[in-house]
Amino acid sequence: MTVAPLLANPLRAGPRLARTPQPCALVIFGATGDLAARKIVPALYNLALQRLLPAAFAVVGAARADLTSEQFRENLHTDLVQFSRTKPINEDVWRSFAESVHYVSTRDGEGYETLRHTLADLDVRAGTNGNRLFYFATPPSAYGPITDLIKRHRLTENVNARVVVEKPFGHDLLSATELSQKLQGVFTEDEIFRIDHYLGKETVQNILVLRFANGIFEPIWNRQYVDHVQITVAESLGIEERGAYYEQAGALRDIVQNHLLQLVALVGMEPPVSFDAKSVRDEKLKVLRAVRPITMEQTDTNVVRGQYGPGFIEGAPVRGYCEEDDVAADSKTETFLAIRAFIDNWRWEGTPFYLRTGKRLPKRTTEIAIQFRAAPHAVFSSEAAEGMEPNALVLRIQPDEGISLKFGAKVPVQGIRIRSVNMDFVYGASFMVDAPDAYETLIIDALRGDATLFTRQDEVEQQWRFVDPIAQAWAEGRGQMPAYPAGTWGPAEADLLIAEDGRTWRKP
Amino acid sequence: MSVMTQIDESVWGTRTESVSALERELARLRRSSGAHATEHGVPVARASVLNLVVFATREIHARRAAATIDELATRHPSRAIVIVADREPSGPPELEMHCRLPHPDGAQQVSYEQILIRARGAEDHRLVSAVIPLLLPDLPVFLWWTETPPLDLPFFDDLLRLADRLIVDSGDFARPDRTLPRLHAVARSGENRYGVTDFNWTRITPWRELVMQFFDVPTWRPFLDAITGIRVGFAVDADGREIHPSQALLFIGWLASRLGWTAVESLAPSEAGGLLFAMRRPDGQEIPVRVRPRFIRGLDEGDLSGLRIQSEDGGRHAEFVVKRSDTNPHATTLVTVGGRGMSERIVPLGRPGVSELLGEELTIARSDSIYEDALAVLVALTKG
Repeated sequence: MTVAPLLANPLRAGPRLARTPQPCALVIFGATGDLAARKIVPALYNLALQRLLPAAFAVVGAARADLTSEQFRENLHTDLVQFSRTKPINEDVWRSFAESVHYVSTRDGEGYETLRHTLADLDVRAGTNGNRLFYFATPPSAYGPITDLIKRHRLTENVNARVVVEKPFGHDLLSATELSQKLQGVFTEDEIFRIDHYLGKETVQNILVLRFANGIFEPIWNRQYVDHVQITVAESLGIEERGAYYEQAGALRDIVQNHLLQLVALVGMEPPVSFDAKSVRDEKLKVLRAVRPITMEQTDTNVVRGQYGPGFIEGAPVRGYCEEDDVAADSKTETFLAIRAFIDNWRWEGTPFYLRTGKRLPKRTTEIAIQFRAAPHAVFSSEAAEGMEPNALVLRIQPDEGISLKFGAKVPVQGIRIRSVNMDFVYGASFMVDAPDAYETLIIDALRGDATLFTRQDEVEQQWRFVDPIAQAWAEGRGQMPAYPAGTWGPAEADLLIAEDGRTWRKP
Repeated sequence: MSVMTQIDESVWGTRTESVSALERELARLRRSSGAHATEHGVPVARASVLNLVVFATREIHARRAAATIDELATRHPSRAIVIVADREPSGPPELEMHCRLPHPDGAQQVSYEQILIRARGAEDHRLVSAVIPLLLPDLPVFLWWTETPPLDLPFFDDLLRLADRLIVDSGDFARPDRTLPRLHAVARSGENRYGVTDFNWTRITPWRELVMQFFDVPTWRPFLDAITGIRVGFAVDADGREIHPSQALLFIGWLASRLGWTAVESLAPSEAGGLLFAMRRPDGQEIPVRVRPRFIRGLDEGDLSGLRIQSEDGGRHAEFVVKRSDTNPHATTLVTVGGRGMSERIVPLGRPGVSELLGEELTIARSDSIYEDALAVLVALTKG
C-alpha cells in the first residue's frame, strides 16, 4: 500500500499535547519472552493509562509458539498483573488496549507472510498507515535471522519502518559491525534504535541538563579545576538466573561496554549545538574517540578485575560466583572491574577517570563524582583546616537520585575551625514523585522517531574498540583474578590501583 | 461589637508581630527541625523552587488551599503565603501574620514553609506591602486566586504585578461568560511579564488530547477541515440551577482558534440553560455549535460529559465522539465514517482533584498562548 501523505495536525500546537506519537503498529519479535512480559507490555499499558498512545495503534506479537491472539492476550494479562508498575490493573482500559493486540506465529516463512498481510490489513483497518516499529525482544542470536526474514518477506517495503534492538550489540567489535551490517541491509542507521535503558533514566538525562542548562558548572568542568572523576555502577545483586548469559559476558561486556562508557561520554562530552539526535550523538562519539585505549600490555596496570566469593549481603549469607547456577566451577568470568581511564583531549588531558562496577557489592548505587582540586593555597592554619576536604560534586543516578555539593564551612565557634558540609539536592523529593519509567520514555521516543536517547552504531563500535583489547589480554591469560567476599567493595587490588595515584575510592 | 473569630494557632502556627519577627520564628523552627535531623546524622539542606501566594476571602477556603499545598510540598518545594482578606467590618483594621513548617520531621531536604497573612477590615491596599518582604528572593511567584478575581481593583493589580503566573479556576466564577473574556485582556497585557492559567483549562487537557489524537490518523485528518457541527455536553446539578459552561466554552474556543473559525453571532441561550450559536470556517461554511447541560450523578458542575464532532468530506459523513462514562473513571472514544464504526476505545479519564491540577500548573513556568487564543475566541463570541 502507499502511505497517505501526512497533513500537519493544527490541534497539536502548544506545550501540553506534544508527546503523543503518530499512529503506528508495533511488532514485538520474541513476544512470548521475558523482556516483553516484564518491560515492554507493562510500559505500553502504562502509556495507555496516560493517554499517550495514538488513536490508531496496534501491537502485533510475533514468536515461534503456536498461539491464538486470544491466548496471547490472556498471557499478557497474567504477566501484566505481576509486572505493571501501577496496580491494580484497570481492566476496562486493558480490555480496550488488548483489542489492538494481535499475535502471529512466525515459526516459518509462512508465518512472515501472515505477518505481512496482518500489517497491511492494520494499515487500512486500524489506520496505522504504514508506520511500523519492529521491536527485537529476542536473544541477540535471532537478530540476524529475523532481519533476513523481514527483508525476504518485504515487511519494510513502501512503509515507514524503524527497529528497536536491545543490548548486547555484539560481543566484540567484529560481531557488532556484522550485526549492524545485517540490520543496515534492511534499515538505515536513522531507523535503528539501540536501547541502552540507562539513557532513559530521568537522572541520566539530568546530567545533560545540569551541565548545559546552567552557566556555572561548565567553566570549571575541565582539567584545570577537576582533580579526577569517579564513576561507580554498583549492584548488590548477584547474577540471579542469568548465569549462562553472564558467563559469556562478564562485567566488561555487561556494564562497561555500554552503561559505564555512556556515562563517561555524558560527563566528558563537549556541549552539543542542540538537544537533538545528531548533535548529542556526534558529541558523545567525539569524546568516546578521545578515550585513551588501554592496550593489552597496559591492562595489568590500568585494569583490576575480580570475582565474588561467598559472603554476606544485608546480613544474609550468599553464594560465591562459582557456586551460582549455570556457572563453571572454575569460571574465569569477572564480576568486578576497576579501570583507570584518560580522555586525551583539550578539556581532560591528564585527568583520570576511575571507573568501577561490580556485582555483590555492599549496596546498589550508581553515581558520578567530580572531585575538584584542593584550594591552591592554604590560607588557614593546618589545625583549623583539619576537617577540610576538596570540593566534590556528586551526581547520584540511583537510588536516591540527586546532586550533592561538598564544600568547607566555618564551624560556629570562636576562632576558625573548618568542616565539610554536603549540600544535597534530592531530585526525587524535590520534583518527581513518580519519575517516568525508562522503558516508557524510550518506547515513546522510538514511536516518535526521536533517537536522541539511543546509541548510534559508531558509538557502539567505539565502545567495543575500548573494551576489546582488555578482553583479549585476559583471553590470553594475562592478569590476576582476585576474589573478593560478596558484600565488600571489591578486591584490595582495586584500592591499590587508585592509591598509586595518591587517591582513594569514595564510599558511595 | 461582634467577637472576631480567632485564628487557630494549632493550624496556622504562632502569631508574629512583624515580618522580621516572622523570619526569626521560621529560622527558629528550621533550627529545631535541623537539630532533630542532625541527631539522625542528616545535615539539613533545602531545595525550594517557587513562591506561591494564595488569595482567599474566607478562612475555610484558605484552610482548604493550605491542605492542597501541603500535599504538593515534596513535589514543589515552596514558600506558601496564604492571604485571608476578612472583610467583616468589626474590630480595628489590622494585618496579622502566622507561620509554620508543616513537615518539621519529614522531607528535610525540601523547603516548605507556610505563612498566613490575615487582613481584617477593608485593608486590601496594604496587602502587597506585607507580601513583598516575605517572598523568597529570585524565585518565580505563582499567584493562586481562589475565587473570581477582582480584575478592576487596584490591589489585585498590585499582587498581579508580583506574579510570574496567575492561576484561577473559572469553575468558581460567578459569571464566566463575562469574566473569561476580561481575563483575556489581563492575559494579553501580561505579555512577557506573567502568564495566566485556569484549572478549567487543565481539566480539559485530556479532552483536547483525545480529539487531537483522532486527527493524527491520516485517513481521518481531512475531516478536521470539514467540520459541519459540534455538540458539547457539560454537567449541571439535579435542579439545573448551577450552570457553569466554562469548560465547554474553553473547549470550543480552543478548537475554533486552532482551526481558524470566526464568530458569526454572539452566544445565545437555548433551552434549559444551554447555548446555541453559529461559527464560520475559513472557507465560509457555517457550523452550528450546541452546548448542552446534562445532569449526571457524580460529576461536578461544569465538567465535560461528552462531545460529538460531525464532519462531511468528499461526500462521506463522519462522527468523532468522546463520551465520559457515568460510572467509571474513563471515557469511550468512537469514530464512525459513512455510518460504519471505525474505532472504539476506552481511555482513562479521571477527575483530578485541586492538588493535582495545581501540581500540574506549577510545572509550567510560562504563559500558554494556546489558552490565550482560546480566550480570544470567547471575547469575539461575547461581543455586542
